[in-house]
Amino acid sequence: MEPILFYLFAGLTLLGAVMTVASRSAVASAVWLIFCFLNIAGVFALLSAPFLAILQVLVYAGAIMVLFLFVIMMLQGDTMPSEGLARRLLGRLALALPSTALALIALAWISRGSAAPFPEPAPEGFGTVAGVAGLLLNRYLLAFELISVILLVAIVGAIALGRKERSLPWQ
Amino acid sequence: MAVGLTHYLALACALFVIGVTGVIVRRNALIMFMSIELMLSGANVAFAAYSRELGDAAGHVFVLMNFAVAAAEAAIGLAILVAIFRLNRSVDADELKTLME
Repeated sequence: MEPILFYLFAGLTLLGAVMTVASRSAVASAVWLIFCFLNIAGVFALLSAPFLAILQVLVYAGAIMVLFLFVIMMLQGDTMPSEGLARRLLGRLALALPSTALALIALAWISRGSAAPFPEPAPEGFGTVAGVAGLLLNRYLLAFELISVILLVAIVGAIALGRKERSLPWQ
Repeated sequence: MAVGLTHYLALACALFVIGVTGVIVRRNALIMFMSIELMLSGANVAFAAYSRELGDAAGHVFVLMNFAVAAAEAAIGLAILVAIFRLNRSVDADELKTLME
């Protein structure tokens, strides 16, 4: 059962990812990206990480993508300027070749080892809210506090950038 | 046919490469941002897979950190895009060459 679910979710994730990059309109891209994120939540569930799966749906597919959709609709609706001649597109695809080659090398290195299944079963409480929260508030407390500072900085920065130009404090 | 670490790492790798390709190929800044989110997601899948392999939920904590970073990046990046759009009436990355001239 697990292999079938894995190939289903992985296939749909990759479909969503490719369509995100290949879609003409930014709105279609965003919707495909939401589809991709929902399938990644399925992958997390297969990895015995139910908490991450729920957060992936709530935070990523929910909050972050709503922010994206808001900005897309505010800026340009569902049309966008053409991306230039096909020749230029081909040139850019050629630019993407080195990264693809690197990834193929990485894939070859990854698949050197035997495709052993994960050790069964996962430890008690692995990936539950209680399990992750215990780590987050004990061993990784400092990181947790620092990440909240990052979020605070992001909030202040977004407000400062979003104000009208004339009212910026340094002008 | 058992599915193991290798398969999940391959998925993470593929997600990351699709993201890189998107950033390089597309010129619409919004879609470039979405491609960056794809790259972050690839890293998340790798974290969760290793976490499962090692039986240590520390990887999940790092995925949480990644969520926060992605949210901050989206908020700031989109605010910058809105500011650029006010200035240029466009979000085409090829038209942003003020610093080149």
